[in-house]
Amino acid sequence: MATGIKDYAARSREIIREDPGVRESVTGATIAFDEKRRQGYAEVDADAWRRWAEGVKNHTLTHLDRYLAEAEEQLQANGAQVHWAADAAEAREIVTGLAVRHGVRSVVKGKSMVTEEIDLNPVLEAAGIEVFETDLGEYILQLLEEPPSHILGPALHKSLEQVQELFADRLDTARDGDPDTLARAAREVLRGAFIHADMGITGANFLVAETGTVALIENEGNIRLTTSLPRVHVAVVGIEKLLPRMTDLAGFLQLTARAATGQPIGCFVSLIQGPAADPGDDGPEEVHVVLVDNGRTDVLAHEHAWEALRCVRCGACLNACPVYRQTGGHAYGYVYSGPIGSVLDPGLLGLHEAMPLPFASSLCGACEDACPVRIPIPELLLEWRREAQEEGLTPWKERAALAGLASVATRPGLYRLAGKIGSRLGATGAARVLPMLGEWSKDRALPKPSPRTFRDLWREGIE
Amino acid sequence: MSVESRERILARVAKATASRAGLPHPGALVTPVTDDPEAAFVKRFTSSGGEVVEAGPGRERSAWLTRLLRGLDPEVVGVAVGPEVPPEFRPRLPEVAAAHAGAGISVAWAAVAESGSLILPSTGTRAVQLLPPVHVVWVPRGRVYGRLEDALRELRRNLSAGVGLHSGPSKSADIGRTVVTGVHGPGRCMAVVGSYAPTGTSET
Ligand code: SF4
Repeated sequence: MATGIKDYAARSREIIREDPGVRESVTGATIAFDEKRRQGYAEVDADAWRRWAEGVKNHTLTHLDRYLAEAEEQLQANGAQVHWAADAAEAREIVTGLAVRHGVRSVVKGKSMVTEEIDLNPVLEAAGIEVFETDLGEYILQLLEEPPSHILGPALHKSLEQVQELFADRLDTARDGDPDTLARAAREVLRGAFIHADMGITGANFLVAETGTVALIENEGNIRLTTSLPRVHVAVVGIEKLLPRMTDLAGFLQLTARAATGQPIGCFVSLIQGPAADPGDDGPEEVHVVLVDNGRTDVLAHEHAWEALRCVRCGACLNACPVYRQTGGHAYGYVYSGPIGSVLDPGLLGLHEAMPLPFASSLCGACEDACPVRIPIPELLLEWRREAQEEGLTPWKERAALAGLASVATRPGLYRLAGKIGSRLGATGAARVLPMLGEWSKDRALPKPSPRTFRDLWREGIE
Repeated sequence: MSVESRERILARVAKATASRAGLPHPGALVTPVTDDPEAAFVKRFTSSGGEVVEAGPGRERSAWLTRLLRGLDPEVVGVAVGPEVPPEFRPRLPEVAAAHAGAGISVAWAAVAESGSLILPSTGTRAVQLLPPVHVVWVPRGRVYGRLEDALRELRRNLSAGVGLHSGPSKSADIGRTVVTGVHGPGRCMAVVGSYAPTGTSET
């Protein structure tokens, strides 16, 4: 698929120069999320939980064929229908085909990265189907015709004033409406949409093989409504979302919430087994699960990158990343942005297509420290950089910087030394070592040289 | 096409997994066990914005619930009640469609202390659990699990089509990073502990 990844550097500069409010909003929100994540981790034995989660995911991914077959069998036994999509086009075709077959005129959607990945909404709309994004942040972006900027807070780059303007124009609210009033206005529109929708479309946080359970985490209740009220529910699920057992789900529901927002669990969790079966149940008549590959088997086959498939899309690495904080997700040009995007996108799309994302990092390691499934993001970035160099995909400037950086960053002693040099040289000098910093510093007032090390500096953002 | 894709995807997965050693499952995640699950549930649920109330003793629960709902602001006039709620646990208020009700009344399958969750089966009516601005949930006596894993292990044998875990009111911070409640689901979630017995006849 066409992406905007190639323009990463130019777009970053543009965002920083033209729209400084983005940096302010994103930095504020991600620092707040990151602080909550730290508190959430501090309440439990986070190191043990993370090691356990890494182990469960590694086990699952190294037995994925078995668990996919088991999940399919269980889902079918529960009365759900299972579809397999090799790529985005096939996934779109399956979902649109279901909508047409059921005479669907209106769809409500829960926030789902994979439906963004397969670019589902335009084809549904082209088929004459009205689509409502129902997560509040996604709804704001749908009105603005913008893609999400963050896995968890898709509209976190928008300020209150921007939403006030938008809702005043579109929903007729007061120009100084408070968040409560604005949320109520959105609720009113979307409540009607829930009640009249023929189909609900969601992603999935997890798919439990043992029971054929599609598990979804959220805070607003829109996903519970999306999976409950319309007569047809379609869950679009990446094949890496498997968990072996229901008891595994207990740990993952709690760990994911703690990593994402610091909560002990999301306010609402939906465990969907299949269509409504009990007499009192007003749930959907049909449940369809679309299992999507779209590059995931390429990632699985990669000697190193397969570890990125452990990702539970919590957004913690984005929140911890000083580079992401400068621009938010739009600069990255693809649905998966920030540190996880920089290691996953080359696997999903091909390294050539994902350049220069592996370079969009200072390798400070904050992402790996935050990650609930301990994905070694800095190591994977270096691996992609090495492959890019081998394939001649890096321009000479980046390649020269890469050679120095790779050798320094993979040797902790030298890396610390480079940090000390950076603290003496200031950002300009250090930018010679860390190429992406050069891109930022072209258009920004440079920070004063800090007596602290470069790692510390990046850990908190440039300033 | 989907059938061909199934074979293709599974073959690709099998090839990729065959290329590296299968790693073992690490076993259960060990989390602390609480001595007093009910007290721990109350603490966790309320810290997430949920409310816990205790019903009066004896056979007066229906009247008690009616008083509770009438005393809310705004006063609840019409209610939606799940089919699983026995007569003596239903308020004496007019029953209306969930979309128009001031409160929904349900019975939980169980509660969980560790996560502060109410587990709601879809043998009840989902619209009752989701559409009214207030959700009142009877928690069966003695059915508060300490750990989520233990609850889900047991739930495996009782899985209905669409189970919900509700762990507080609906909320969002998507606008200006300010937390607002009642965005789509109920803005108030009230758990009634200590008095509901599944037969609906036992006294406290
Ligand atoms: S890479 Fe880790 S921290 Fe980042 S979104 Fe995925 S699971 Fe969360």
